[in-house]
Amino acid sequence: MQRQCPAIIGMGRTKFGEHYEKEPEKLIEEAWLKASLSAGIERKNLDAAYIADYFLQLTNKIGIEEGFLSELTELHVPMERTRSFSSALLNACNGIQAGRYDVVLVGGVEKMTDRWDKIRDDLMLLEDPWSYYAGCTPEANHELMLREYIKKYGIQGEQLETLNVALAQIAVKNHRQALKNEYAQYQRPITLEKVLNERQKAHKPLGLYDFAPVSDGATVMILASPETAKKHSDNRVCVAGSASATDYVTFPAREDRTGCLASSIAMKNALKMADLMVNDIQTIELYDQSTLLEMVSLEDLGFAKRGMAWQFINDSRKDYQGFYRINGKELYVNTDGGLKADGNPLGATGGAQIFEIVTQLRGKAGERQVKTDKDLRYGCVLELEGFGTKAYVHILRRSDYE
Amino acid sequence: MSSEPIERRVSYIGDRLNGSRCGICGKEYFRPRDYCGTCGRKSFGKMEDIDLFYEKGELEVCTMVKEPTNKFTKLGAYVYGIVSFHNGKVRVPGRLTDRLLADTPIDPSSFEGREVVPRFRRRYAVEQSDIIPTISLAFTLADEYYPHQEHYTVKPRKEYETPGIVGYGVYTSRFRIKEGTIERSVPFIDEDSITAAVEAGKLALIHSGVDPLLVAKVYVGSESNPYAVKPIASKVAQVLKLGEEDKAEGVQTVDAVDTEFACKAATCMFKDAAALVYYPTVRNHYTMVIGTDNSQAAPRDELGGELDFFVGYGGSAFIFGMNDVIAEIEGWCSCTSDTPDFWRRDQEPHPRHGGRFTGEPAYFKHVSKAAAKLMDKLRLQPSDVNYFVSHQPNLAFPVKVATELGFKEDQFMPGLQVAKFGNTYSGSSPIGLAAILDIAKPNDRIVMVSYGSGAGSDAYSLIVTNQIVEKRDRQKFTIHRQVENRNLEYIDYDTYRRLKQGM
Repeated sequence: MQRQCPAIIGMGRTKFGEHYEKEPEKLIEEAWLKASLSAGIERKNLDAAYIADYFLQLTNKIGIEEGFLSELTELHVPMERTRSFSSALLNACNGIQAGRYDVVLVGGVEKMTDRWDKIRDDLMLLEDPWSYYAGCTPEANHELMLREYIKKYGIQGEQLETLNVALAQIAVKNHRQALKNEYAQYQRPITLEKVLNERQKAHKPLGLYDFAPVSDGATVMILASPETAKKHSDNRVCVAGSASATDYVTFPAREDRTGCLASSIAMKNALKMADLMVNDIQTIELYDQSTLLEMVSLEDLGFAKRGMAWQFINDSRKDYQGFYRINGKELYVNTDGGLKADGNPLGATGGAQIFEIVTQLRGKAGERQVKTDKDLRYGCVLELEGFGTKAYVHILRRSDYE
Repeated sequence: MSSEPIERRVSYIGDRLNGSRCGICGKEYFRPRDYCGTCGRKSFGKMEDIDLFYEKGELEVCTMVKEPTNKFTKLGAYVYGIVSFHNGKVRVPGRLTDRLLADTPIDPSSFEGREVVPRFRRRYAVEQSDIIPTISLAFTLADEYYPHQEHYTVKPRKEYETPGIVGYGVYTSRFRIKEGTIERSVPFIDEDSITAAVEAGKLALIHSGVDPLLVAKVYVGSESNPYAVKPIASKVAQVLKLGEEDKAEGVQTVDAVDTEFACKAATCMFKDAAALVYYPTVRNHYTMVIGTDNSQAAPRDELGGELDFFVGYGGSAFIFGMNDVIAEIEGWCSCTSDTPDFWRRDQEPHPRHGGRFTGEPAYFKHVSKAAAKLMDKLRLQPSDVNYFVSHQPNLAFPVKVATELGFKEDQFMPGLQVAKFGNTYSGSSPIGLAAILDIAKPNDRIVMVSYGSGAGSDAYSLIVTNQIVEKRDRQKFTIHRQVENRNLEYIDYDTYRRLKQGM
């Protein structure tokens, strides 16, 4: 049975990168103005707001984000703060589907460059304290997961080199995609050699170009009930599936450390809610905090068989046409450049991911518009919190396919 | 700034690596839990305490950290990974310590699958005024310098007439600086006098087979406690679980005290420790005396910098009791005078000393006096003594004083360890004594004379019993192993100063 789904009727975002002169309020304001304009609504239409950020408490001494948003909008409606944008969206969907709200603002903002010298320590708040005490870094668990992966599937010799090249290709691909994304933090191409050289220079399995950057930015969506959405826009995109799952914060304590269990569970539940199969998904935004996470997420979400994703990525390397060919099927991944090149202002990141899928589904992605044989109907977004401690999957659908 | 309650809780669990095992399904957890996640409510009250402090783990996967977070930068690059215990029943994050990594690639697979031993170390750097955070999520490879040794308690067989030493342990670090004929042990950057005290105590418990629950008092002598106020002994008591533990409160029923008298801070308590176990109601109990120092010296070009050629790092621990004694205390004699030959004022980082006066009248007068008086009291001739050992600030002093007292090379050379470890201050003469106990035969007589600036000496005469032979198998980490070891790492002067400075 298809349910009536909440729809995204407007959205806006800032460019990601360093915004030295702008405080967080300015960034969210910029995103909000674009979103309200595109939705054709006013502040007074809002019934509630969900605002996502991880570190404004630390970076900007903002402890009660709702109060700032209230002051900014001069509204006194219910507002709640979450960490990730996807969490804000999920909560907003719940609110609308429960019949409580009609029009909801979903926003995300982060200002990481304001604390440049301490931000890597701040990021450790997303891991368990004991790993921190033992000397963990924001990058270390990615590398340990890669080691677990290599060992579990017995990848060695030439195969291992191919795996390493495939991971590098993910960064190359994402930078290439970002060239066509006006909002992206990095709009310059990188070469495979450059990614590999950075690793070699650092004597590390994953190097500078394997990891998403530190960014500032904001994103805003206007979510509306199906009835209201119909009045506002013809070219609507609705949230067909929305699910989350959790896992142990302590990475060493997890049963399987070659992927994120929470991603698998969230995907299964989101597909069920949307009444779709994994093969129905045509384009997806993955949470490529590292190139490795883009790769293992393809397995976690069921696109590639366990231990196989790197081979599909490698196969697409030589004549990359904007998609990975997995089991004969084209899958567009991170068409906006992903976290790697679009940027990763934590609280706003998920908003940019959803922004991209909505843009694609509306056919407004310009140069980077995905070209599928069949009409583009379904897109999917995976967002993680704390290296897989939480996973959120949203499945978006063009509303004319309801 | 560190938080006192958080430090207390983290180090209470992390120093010892406390955890739980489900009494129903056997699932294990790092960190104590009141119930098992699998068995749920029915496991309440059925969880068993475990700790990984004496266990051997396996480094399953690892990577090199080159850009640590801010509090870890002084460590430089290090290997970080996941360590499993009990065949993968429980996993913890861990850092390999005691490695100076050059800027060269490491092959993770050369470390993965290898056995590792948890080591009690400083956790990370903090402000000078903060509580020093510690943890045992630092590991070293079991097949290198520091071996894994099981810890088990042995039921005592025999009660002796005279109290004496029932077990001992010496800990020196893996790093050495070699200048001329002298090698000196150098702490790794996460080590200090507190970590050496715990290590030495742990080794002494392993060697003695004494139930830690029966230790009634621990004395820690040091002149390099990183705290002006806060005992090292409380950390030792807590980590080694000395005395009976009140689990609800995490309190040990044990007395613990730090002592200070320059380099004789530990030896002066030997007799007190022995006297205490002679007290009727304490007779089945034990006492532990630890001498530990990250011996301090000013840089060479500064006042007091002469010491920088001699200072070492290490700790020694001796357990005293009436049962299963390996060396009985035959007698002692101490002497004291107010001779200010070496001192460190409060808040000064490095000690000063009185140049040539440190020998005569300071060192020689007190060592000779205490030794002569003791031998006179016991009516001993040098020929009645098998081994003689004295405090060792350098090579010349102990040789000269031993010769003047009439001892020959074969009597004093086995205890002369200063050329191997440097002057380990409070640990100096005790390490010499340990080296002798490592090789002594039953019925051998040992005379040990310490020296502490300020000034004073304690002389002891010890008679070795036949229990020494069987207990020897319990200790792999002997003085010999710490001297002749292919895993020792020799470092240059700048690295030595940096490591000694700590984090």
